[in-house]
Formats: sequence, C-alpha cells, structure tokens
Amino acid sequence: MASIVLAGSSSGAITVAAPAVAGTNTITLPASTSTLATTADITGPAFLAVSGANQSVTSGAITKVSINTEQFDTNSNYDTSTYRFTPTVAGYYQVSGMVKILGSLTASQVIIYKNGALVVAGNYFIVGAQSALFNTVEGLIYMNGSSDYLELFGYVVGTSPVFTYTSIYNTSRFSAFLARAA
Amino acid sequence: MTLYEKIVELYPQLTNKDFIPLIGTIMLQNDSNGKGDYIAKWEHPTLAKPTDEELS
Repeated sequence: MASIVLAGSSSGAITVAAPAVAGTNTITLPASTSTLATTADITGPAFLAVSGANQSVTSGAITKVSINTEQFDTNSNYDTSTYRFTPTVAGYYQVSGMVKILGSLTASQVIIYKNGALVVAGNYFIVGAQSALFNTVEGLIYMNGSSDYLELFGYVVGTSPVFTYTSIYNTSRFSAFLARAA
Repeated sequence: MTLYEKIVELYPQLTNKDFIPLIGTIMLQNDSNGKGDYIAKWEHPTLAKPTDEELS
C-alpha cells in the first residue's frame, strides 16, 4: 500500500495512506486556502441521557422530562439537575428524544424546547385509553455554542400518567450530537 | 386538584383541544423544578385568564 508521510517540524508525523481497493480513488482538496475539518468537526459534543426513575405528571400540562442519568456526555454539556443540554460548540445538532408513558392515556406528544420555547414537536397521538405510549421527536437544531440550551418536554392527557422507568434500556431518553459545525 | 382540573372546573366549556401544545390557546407547563404547574400561555379568545384567587 502506497503512502505519504508528512513529518512534523520537531516531532510526530501524519501518514496519508491509499486504501487497498481496486480502481482509482480521488480526494479533492480545496482550490484555495481552506480547512478540511476542524477539531470541532471531529470531536464535537455528543450526549445520551436517560430517565432513572418514574416521574408522575399532570394530565394536560407540558412537563419537562427528568432525564437524570448520563450514558455518555463527551463535553460535559448536559446538566442532570436542570435536564438541559447546553453545547459549547456552535453548529447544527441532530437531537432525539423519546418518552415512555404509562397510565390510562388518551393523547400525548413529545416536544423539544430551545431556550424555553417550543422548537420541534413530535406527532400528536390521539388514542383510545391506551396503557402505554412511546412518543418520539427529532430535529436538526442550530445552537450558538454558548447560551443556547435544549430541554425535552412531554404532554399527556389521561388518568395517573407516569413517565416510566423500567431499566436504562427501557425508559425515556434524550440525545444530541454535533452534525455540522457553524 | 391539579391546575388543569381547577381551570376546567372554572371553565367547563374548555376541552382537551384547548390545551394541545402548539395549536391550543392555553398552555400549562411544569419545569420539573419543584414549583409545580403554571400557566405558560393564555390566548383564549373569549375566556379571561383565571386569577390566583380563582385558582387557589
């Protein structure tokens, strides 16, 4: 396999190696001075957190989901006490949320809030007295990398609704990752 | 009695449709900070926002 080694001025090296595949492969470099990828592009924030306990909620009220258990949080941008994700790198984030709800349920919806206001809403489900619902929401959201924050809210209509925890694999969850730096 | 139940008792003509996020004219919210439910939006065209006394 052919390769090019670029030695550092004092130490270290970067090796560009061609893959062992048939045919001719092309890498096109920028025509002018540019940066192929920044460190943020490669190591941008990503987190996944889940709910670690049942959360009783009020029918008819939009309630922030108590997502309090991190599975990973690469930049320490998720706060498990306020349930907010405040990324420290500006850019476009792919955001996902899921809420598991038990009770005698007739309607539900999951919503992502940005800076305290609705920004993305999942499907609004109207059902006939279901005992369990799994609602999801996702969106691509711009974040300024400093003050912007995201939260996950759930809305449910029914009797004795609970955002339910069964295990870390079967509970409400909230995640995001940097898809493209600003 | 929850805030939702108090409002519906005060205004029985309200239905669940009035509280649907995004399209409803009333939005009740709970920030899970221990302070409970509150009225985050009241834009009903004919019914006045309840006072604290009416909800107490």
